[in-house]
Amino acid sequence: MFNPLKAPEGVRIALMGNEAIARGFLEAGASVITGYPGTPSSEVITSLHEYGVSSEIFVEWAINERVAFEIAYGAAICGARAAVTMKAPGASVALDPIVSSAYGGVEGGLVVLVADDPGPHTTQTEQDDRWLGFLAKLPVVTPSSPQEAKDLTVSAFDISEELKLPVILRTTTRVNHTVGEVLLGPVRPPKRTAGFVKDIPRFVRAGMSWNLERHRWLNKQLDIAEDVFDRISPVRNTVEGSGRFCVVTEGAAYNYVREVVDELGIEVRVVKLSLLFPPPRKFLTEALDGCSDILVVEELDPYLELVVKSLLKDRGSTARVYGKVSGSIPLEGELSRGLVRRAMTSLLPGTPSSAPQEVQPRQALKVPPRPPPMCPGCPHRSMYVAMLIGISRAGYKRGEVPVFGDIGCYALASQPPLEAIWTEHSMGASISMAMGAKVAGFRGPVIAVIGDSTFYHAGIQPLIEAVHKRVDMLVVIADNSVVAMTGHQSTPAWSTLESGRKARPVIVEDIVRAVGVDYLEVVDPYDIDKMINAFERLIKQPGVKVLVSKHPCALLEARSRSLRRYRVIDEKCTGCLACIKVTGCPALFYENGKVSISADDCVGCGLCARFCPYKAIEVAGNE
Amino acid sequence: MSRIVNIAIASVGGQGGLTLSRALAIAAVLDGYSVRTGETLGMSQRFGSVLSYVRIGKRVFSPTFSTGEADFLLGLELVESVRALPLLRDGGVAVVADTLKIPISASLEKMSPRVDELIRELTRRSRAVIVPASKIARDAGNPRAANMVVLGVFQGISGLLTETSLRKAISEVVPGKWLETSMKAFDEGLKYGVSVRTVP
Repeated sequence: MFNPLKAPEGVRIALMGNEAIARGFLEAGASVITGYPGTPSSEVITSLHEYGVSSEIFVEWAINERVAFEIAYGAAICGARAAVTMKAPGASVALDPIVSSAYGGVEGGLVVLVADDPGPHTTQTEQDDRWLGFLAKLPVVTPSSPQEAKDLTVSAFDISEELKLPVILRTTTRVNHTVGEVLLGPVRPPKRTAGFVKDIPRFVRAGMSWNLERHRWLNKQLDIAEDVFDRISPVRNTVEGSGRFCVVTEGAAYNYVREVVDELGIEVRVVKLSLLFPPPRKFLTEALDGCSDILVVEELDPYLELVVKSLLKDRGSTARVYGKVSGSIPLEGELSRGLVRRAMTSLLPGTPSSAPQEVQPRQALKVPPRPPPMCPGCPHRSMYVAMLIGISRAGYKRGEVPVFGDIGCYALASQPPLEAIWTEHSMGASISMAMGAKVAGFRGPVIAVIGDSTFYHAGIQPLIEAVHKRVDMLVVIADNSVVAMTGHQSTPAWSTLESGRKARPVIVEDIVRAVGVDYLEVVDPYDIDKMINAFERLIKQPGVKVLVSKHPCALLEARSRSLRRYRVIDEKCTGCLACIKVTGCPALFYENGKVSISADDCVGCGLCARFCPYKAIEVAGNE
Repeated sequence: MSRIVNIAIASVGGQGGLTLSRALAIAAVLDGYSVRTGETLGMSQRFGSVLSYVRIGKRVFSPTFSTGEADFLLGLELVESVRALPLLRDGGVAVVADTLKIPISASLEKMSPRVDELIRELTRRSRAVIVPASKIARDAGNPRAANMVVLGVFQGISGLLTETSLRKAISEVVPGKWLETSMKAFDEGLKYGVSVRTVP
C-alpha cells in the first residue's frame, strides 16, 4: 500500500486532516509524539504507527492526556520538538500541566493538538477549546482544510520555538476527518534533546516571586505573538473581497462562508483568522476598518464574536455585530452552507433568501433507526446479559440497582434492548459516582462498569478512594485488552506496541490486587453461566468487589481465530424474539415471522443459542 | 467538470463505505481535481449507519452538502440508501447494492422493511440502478468487495474520473492480499455500469 507519510516533497496527494497533521509533525522534525486516543484526534498517531516512522522518533500512546502532555513538555524543555494529541475532554484532563507550562515555557517547539467536535458527532459535550487561549495564556491557531492543517502544524512548531511557549493547534471534526488535496513539503530530521539547562526560577513553580516574574514574561511573549505569527506562518489571517458588510470567520466555518459568498455572487468582505489567541488585534483593526455590519460565523461558543465586540468597543466603533449572541447563528450543533446562507441573506436585503438547492426534499419512506450497537460476539454484551440476570437472581429488580457506566464501547449498552447503564459521564467517573451514591445514603447495591483502558486512564484513583473509604460496591472491569472504540489502540497490558517497541505489561488484576480490594474474581463472559453466578454472589456480598470480565474484543478475535457460526432451524423458530430481546445482537434479524442469523456477521459467541427457549439455534459449522 | 459534483455514500459500519469514499478522493486528486470528503469516524466499524460525503470540482471548500444537493447516491445497503435519499437532487442517480441488513430496532418491533418496498422507494422519484453487488463480489472471489462493485458501476454510468486513477486509488486503499479480487470486482461493476448507462 501507498505510504503518504513517506511521499516526497512537492507531491500533491489526498490526505485526511489528521494524516496531514501527522505529516506536519514529520515535516517539522518532531521527535516525541504522544497522546491518548479520542475521536476525532486518533488518526494522527494511528497513521504514524500504520505507516511507520524512523526509530529516532518516539511515537507512542500514553496512559492518559495529562501524562501525555507532561511527557511532551518534559521533552520540549530539554530542547526536543514534541507533540501531543487529544480530543476536547482530554484537554480538560491535561489542563493542570497545560496551564503551568505557559510559565516555564519551552526550548524545543511543543504543539498540542486539541480536536473539538461541533455536532457533536462523538463527544459528550460541545466544548470550545479556543477558550484555552484565554485560560492557559497560550497561542491558539486553527486550520480550515487538510492543507492548512499540515502547514499550520509546521508553523506552530516554529512559532512555539520563537515564543518559547507551547502552541495549541485547535481543530474541529470537519478538518480532522476531511480528506482533501495536500501539497507535501520537505521532511526535516527529528530534533531530539540537546540537553537540559538547569534554570530553577523558570521551571520550579514553588517560588511565588518566580511565578510572578514568569507571568510578566508570559504576557510580554503574548504581546509579540501576533508579529511572530505574521512573520513565520504561511497560513495567514486573510481578507478576501471588500465592502462595508463583513463576515469574520475561522476554521471549518470559513469553508461554508467562502462557498455561500461565491454562490450568492455578492460583494462582501471575508475576514478569516488562523491565529485565534492572542486575538490578532492589529490585523483585525485594519481588516474591519470601514465596516458597518459584521457577521461572525463560527462554531461552538461566540468566541470571535466577543473578541470582535471588545475590539470595536476599544476603537469606539459603532459597527453592528451579528452572530450567536444576536441569534443569527445557532449556539448549538455544527454549521452548514444552508445555515450560513440563511444568516447572510437575512442580513443582506436583496439577496435570494434560498438558493435553488434548498428545495424541500421528497418525502422518503420512513426507515428504522440504526444507532451503533455492540458488535456481534462482543464480550461486553455477554457481561451485561449476565449482569441483568444476576441482578434478578440476587433478588432485585433491574430498576433497583443503579449501574454507573464509563466511556468506551460498553456504553453502547445504553441502547435497547439492554438499556443496562444508567450513567456515562467522564473517564473514570463510574467508580467515583457510584461511591457518591453510596455516601449519600443509597441503601441498595451499586455497580460500576469501566473498561480496561478507561481504568488505566482514570479509574485507579477512584478505586483507591472506594477501598480506602470502605464503600460497598461492585466494580466490573470490562477487559478486552485494547482501546476498542477509537480503533484498537494499545493499552499498558501490551508487551509489543504498535511501533514495535517491546513493553512490560502492566496487568489490570495486579493493580486491583495491590489497591487492596475485598474481593477479586476474573471470569470470561463467554462462560455465561459462570458469569451470571458471579454477579448473583457479588451483588449481595459486602465490601469493594472487583469482577474482571476478560475476553478479547470480538472484532480482533474474529481476525485471528477460525469462526464457528450459528444458524436458525426454521422449523423450530417460533419468532418469539427471545434471542433478539436478550442480546440485541446485530447479526440477528427478524423477517417473515422468523429470526435469521447473518452469516457474514456472526462470529459464533453462541449467546443467542443459550437463550433460545426452543433450542432453534445451532452451530452451522466452522470456518 | 464545470461545477462541484456531490456524491453521498450510505452504508452500514463495516461494509467499506469509508474505503469507497477514500478511493474516490484519491482518484479525484490524481485526476487533478480539488476534493473534500465529510465523514465521521470512530464509530464506523460498529454496525451503525454511516454516511459519507464526497465533493469533487475545480475548487472545493465545504466537506458536506445539504438535502437535495447530491448528484449521486452510492448505497451499499438498502435501508441506509433510503435513509440518505433526501440528499439526492431531482434528476440525480442512485447506485445501490441490493443488500438488506435489518436493524435491531426494526426486528424488536417486528417491523422489518422489505426489499421490494425499499427498492420501490428508491426508484419512485429518481433514477436508481439496483446492483446485485454482493453476488458480483462473491463471483469475483471477494465477498467483502461489494463497495468496489458499486464504485465500478458508478464509474461505468458517470465516467466522472479516469479508470487509470481509480485503479491506482484502489491499489492504495485495498490491502495486497485482497487487491486482485477487489480489482476484479471493480471491473465487473464497471461492465455492469456501462451496460446500464444507456437505459433511460
